[in-house]
Order: sequence, then structure tokens, then C-alpha cells
Amino acid sequence: MTTSTFVAGRGFLYIFDARAKLFTVLLLCVMVFLPIRQIGLWTLVAAAFLSAWYATDFKQALQPIKTILFLLVVMILFTPLTYRGGEVLVRLGEFPLVTKEALVNLNILVARFLGITYICTLYMWTTPMADINLALRWYGLSYHAALVLTLAFRFVPYIADSFRMIQDSHALRSATVADGERTGGRQRLADVMPTVTAALVVALKSIPHLAMSLEHRGLGRDTKRTSYRRLVAKGGLFTHLLVSVMIPTVFWLVFNTL
Amino acid sequence: MNTALDIADLSFTYRRYGAQAPPDPVLRAVDLSLQEGSKALILGLPDSGKSTLSKILCALVPRHFDGDLAGTVRIGGTDISDCTPWELMTRVTLVAQNPQEQLLMTTCADEVAFPLESLGIERTALVDRVRNALQRWGLYSMAQVNPQEMSGGERKRLLLAVTEAVDAPLWIMDEPFDDLDEQWRHLLLSRILEKKGTVVVFASRYLDEFRGNFDSYCHLLGGTVGCKSEEEIVVEYDRECDLQFTPMQEELYELADHTLRCRNLSIVHPRRSVSSDQPFSLSVPEFHIASGEVVALVGPNGAGKSTLSRVLCGLDPLVEGSITIDGSVIAGKGLQTRVGYLFQNPDYGIFLPTVRDELGWSLHQIRHLGAQEREQMVSSCARLFHLDLDDNPAMMGYGARKQLQAAVYYLLDRPFVIIDELDSGVTYAAAFEIVSLLRKNGAAIVIITHDRTFARNIAQRQYTIAGGVVSPSEVGV
Repeated sequence: MTTSTFVAGRGFLYIFDARAKLFTVLLLCVMVFLPIRQIGLWTLVAAAFLSAWYATDFKQALQPIKTILFLLVVMILFTPLTYRGGEVLVRLGEFPLVTKEALVNLNILVARFLGITYICTLYMWTTPMADINLALRWYGLSYHAALVLTLAFRFVPYIADSFRMIQDSHALRSATVADGERTGGRQRLADVMPTVTAALVVALKSIPHLAMSLEHRGLGRDTKRTSYRRLVAKGGLFTHLLVSVMIPTVFWLVFNTL
Repeated sequence: MNTALDIADLSFTYRRYGAQAPPDPVLRAVDLSLQEGSKALILGLPDSGKSTLSKILCALVPRHFDGDLAGTVRIGGTDISDCTPWELMTRVTLVAQNPQEQLLMTTCADEVAFPLESLGIERTALVDRVRNALQRWGLYSMAQVNPQEMSGGERKRLLLAVTEAVDAPLWIMDEPFDDLDEQWRHLLLSRILEKKGTVVVFASRYLDEFRGNFDSYCHLLGGTVGCKSEEEIVVEYDRECDLQFTPMQEELYELADHTLRCRNLSIVHPRRSVSSDQPFSLSVPEFHIASGEVVALVGPNGAGKSTLSRVLCGLDPLVEGSITIDGSVIAGKGLQTRVGYLFQNPDYGIFLPTVRDELGWSLHQIRHLGAQEREQMVSSCARLFHLDLDDNPAMMGYGARKQLQAAVYYLLDRPFVIIDELDSGVTYAAAFEIVSLLRKNGAAIVIITHDRTFARNIAQRQYTIAGGVVSPSEVGV
């Protein structure tokens, strides 16, 4: 469970206080559901992508898209089918396959999905897990609740890590062509299931070890916990919180449709 | 003098759900009494119950791993049967054999700080203790590094740093010397000897470092612990291991004739958790290995032995240079199907519910093998490696899981096999046997080890990694 979502990098996001940054994340996530012009949504996605690129590198910045690619494809394939009204653009016999309204809705849906994904991912990439814990506690969560949340944030990446590890192990055990290796897309697809199952089993097996280690390290004691880390907002927390409100507000003022 | 640890008539049996026959007890009527300040060594074969006993002493078993426990354990005179692990943390600290089981946090500093925070230690003292512990174990410059990005030896040092920081009067250490290079083994030994409290070390091999340095020598055999003089215990344990500690005999195999050669390799392995202008890099001017050879790869913790191994077996990319097998440049899948790699941590390579499934997995992909032939191969392989086909690998000991990993590659019959720290968690005899079996068909073996005596007795040539460069060196030096 030592999987970390933090990626060392450069830029303002690494200096931005974890508490203020968390507030910005919440405001931006709410904002994408408010009446905003489509160009505004895509500007937000572009800004988040460029921030990720600047903070890390291009390959890393593409990672969130890769992660949600499957869901995006499903969205693109099936969302148009759920909108029948409006101007029909493509028709299959009597059936309106794609309408203008469907495309508009799909565009908004994809932009929202990408926007939220990038905003949350940027927070996780640029904030050490211990600072996220402290930020959650600053907002009033108990230590245990904050710990459970940060462990939950790590659990999905941990399963992903296990999946890669098992894939590596399976790759080393694959048969050679001389041995009559079974190849092809069908075989590759068939190979995914044991890998996914094994990754889930590994994740489940880690739970007793995690519980064991937490208790052995003192989780459960009545003593008031102290903290090794401190959140320090350079220039004052008020300034950071002000910036955290200003970013979504400016965005809203420029792109709202009211 | 007071009694620090008193174990009386302790028995333990893991609970297995759905099993037809009741499982055998792991521990049977264990009695052991240690005075305050004593240093005890308990030798036991893999799967003899060392890890189970060490966890029972910290009240972690059967709390987190179901089983039936009988008998009493007293630490400092207190019966721990009603104690929780967090109540015991000021009295006893465990260093687990597999560091991955115990690590929780995403940076080294946070890992050391976590138990101190639980104890409510005031911040200034806490910061000092974290810094001192990390400095002592050579990890201060890695304070913000994610343990996931560290080598096995570095992780073990991190666990030792946590143990030092908490400084409980009783240390329970399960194979603590494994994965450590010579420098850190010496430090660990000196820390054990300097400690005013009590230390119990569990080990499956009798290392040079143990000679004369403990005041109690015990043997965990058949689920019970017997303590005798050092000499008697070593003789008894050697007999149990059936240890013939002589250089491996050169047998005449029907050798295949393959050579793997690397020239001017450059490997870069950046860490995600810290920014660095100079990421970890490794240079390999020349490296080669031919069928039938056993070559040792040595170097300090974190030198890049596992990194090089991952490149040699095609899991990680190269920056520069080339790897050839029999003169042809090979990369990616070509390497993966020719170079086997037994990971340092066997859990990275074992995932299926039974030994039978694990051994059969690779064979299922080979088209020309019939079900009966497959079953036959799996059964005979399990016999060779002393494995029970119906065992659940998750319930097997660390050493037994290493044997299972080796058995998988025996079936795959790769021309080249890299074995990462085989000697950790298994006896010398078992390690020799594994290498002999893997060499049967002429495979070339690269052994990664910190144990010079082991290297001297098993390898014909050696490469050393130092200062980011791999170069040939004298065996066992």
C-alpha cells in the first residue's frame, strides 16, 4: 500500500497550499455542472492539460486520457443513441442515429468528464499524500476518516500497480513461438481475465497486512496523535485561499451563460 | 534479572476453510524464556513457523490471520493474550521478513514518523528521531522517496530505521540480515549487540555474523523450539538442512550453446516521487554469460542489480546499447521468452490460488501439450522442488514461495535465468539445489546476492556494480 499518486515536478501547483488547492478542486468540480459555455469547458480541460504538461511532462500529462479512454469510447458510442430529439444528422432507416442535440450533449459530457478527471488528477499528482491527509483534517475530518480516505485514494493505483506487476510476471512466462505460442487478439483478451482476477486477489490479500501494520504502528491508541508534517502556505494561508476562490470565479465570470 | 519474554506451551494452527483434512499445527508446545537484555538466535527452515511465531509475539496472529492459539506469551511479565498490537507497540517491535508487508506510507520520512505520531511524541523530538533514524540507516537523502521506488535492501533498512525510532525494549526480527549488503549487516549486528533491551532474531541460514554474538541459540524444529549451545545448534541445524557446504560440483550436462552479451548499455531509472537532475543511471560496458555458467552479480543495496535484471529480461527499456543472444540483437518480447527472472520478492511473480495452477499456467499456453502431459510435468516438477500441488501459495512461507517461483522457471526451460537474492529466506542447501535443477538443461544462471560466501561457492565468475558501473570482479570479493 505504499503506492503514491504524487509525481514530483515544477510550477505553481506544487507551491499552492494543499488546503486551498483542495478548495479550488471542489469549486471547479461544481462549476463544470453550472451553465457554462462549451468553449469554457474545453478551456478548462486545456488549462488543466497544459498545467499537467508543464508540471510533469507530455507523456505523463496524457496518462489520465489513457486511463479513461475506454470509458470515453463507450460514451462516444452510446451517448448519441440516448438523444432522439432535435435536428437529425445521421439516420439509419427510420431510426435517428445522430442528432445535433446528441452531439452537443456528448461534447458537454466528454468535456465535463475530462475536466473533472484532470482537475482531481492534478491535485493528487502535485500534493503529497500526507499533505492531503492534513488538508482533510484541516477541514474538520477526524484522523481516522482522513486516513481511510487517503488509503482509498491509493487503493485504485495499488490495484493498477499490481496489474502491471502481474502482466510483467505473465509476460516472462509466455510461451515462445517455437513452443506453439497462442497469439492473436482473442488470446490477448482471454489473458486479461486471469490478470485482472489475480490483481484483485492481490489487492484483497493486502488488506490483513495493511490492518496488521496499522495496528502494530499504533493506530488505535488513545494518545492524541502528533504530526510530523506541517502545512505551510508561503505568503499566508489567506492569500492562498483567496487565489483558490479567484480562479473559479474568474472562470465563471468569463464563461457563464447566464 | 527480569524475564523479558516467556513463552509457555504455545501451540498454533492456521484455520483453513473448506479443507477436508484438519491442517497440521505450525507450532507445538513451544517453551522459551529470555532474560532482559539477552540476544537470541532462532534457526529454522523455511515454513517452520518462524514468521508465525514472530507475529504471535506482537499479538498480530491470530488477530489478523485466523487460527487456533493455545498457551501463553508474557512480555515483561504481562500476558499478551488480552493485549492489542497498539498497546504492545511500546514493548515490542517487529521487523518482518518481507518489508512490503509492513510499509504503509508514501515517503520514508512519513514511514518512520507514523508510529512516533501514534505515540504522541512532541514534534521537535519527533523530527529529531526521524532524522536520526534515517541518518543511521543511510536513508536521510531519500527521506522524500517513495518506498515503492526503493530496492529490497533499502526497504529493509527503512524497517530497521522504524524499529530504531520506536526503540521498544524487545525487538523481534524475522530474517533481518536478508537483503542487506555487508556494510548494513555489520551495522545491524552492532545495533543488536549495543541494544540494552532484548533481541530475538529468526533466521533460516547460519550466517558468519551470528558466530559467537548471541547468548541463546535455538532451533525451531517440528513446531517446537529447543535451545542448546551454539555448536550443538549449528550441527543439528546443518543436519536438518542436509547441508553439504562445498562448492557446487561441475556436472556434465548436455549443454545447449547460447550466449547473452551486452555492450555499452545505458540504463536510466527515474524516480517519480522526487525531482532530480540526475536520475538513477547504470552503465554496462560489457557483460556476457554463456550456457552452463553461473555468474554472480553483486553490489551494495540500491546499486541497480534489480534494475539491470529487469532490462536483461526485457521488462524495462534501454537508453543506449544492445543486448544480443547468439549474435542477434534481441529486445522486448524476444528477451522475455528467453531470459527468466525470479523476482527478489516472490510475491511479484506468484498470484494463483494453488501450486498446481501456478505451475500449470505457462504450460496452458503451449499448444502441443496435452492435458495429461501437462499434469505429468507439473507433478514431477512439484516433487523435484518439494512442493505440494494443493497448497495455497499465499499460506506458504517466504522461502517456499521462492522455491515455487524457481519451479515455474524450471518448467519453462529458459536458456538464461536471473535469480534475485535466492539466498534470502531459503537455506544454502535449498539454494544450491534450486540452481542445480535450473542448470540441468544447461541454462546460464545469474545470481544476485549479498552473501560473498554463497557467491564464492556457487559462481564461476562475478560482476560488481559500483558507482553506477557494472564491471567484472573476482568471485566472492
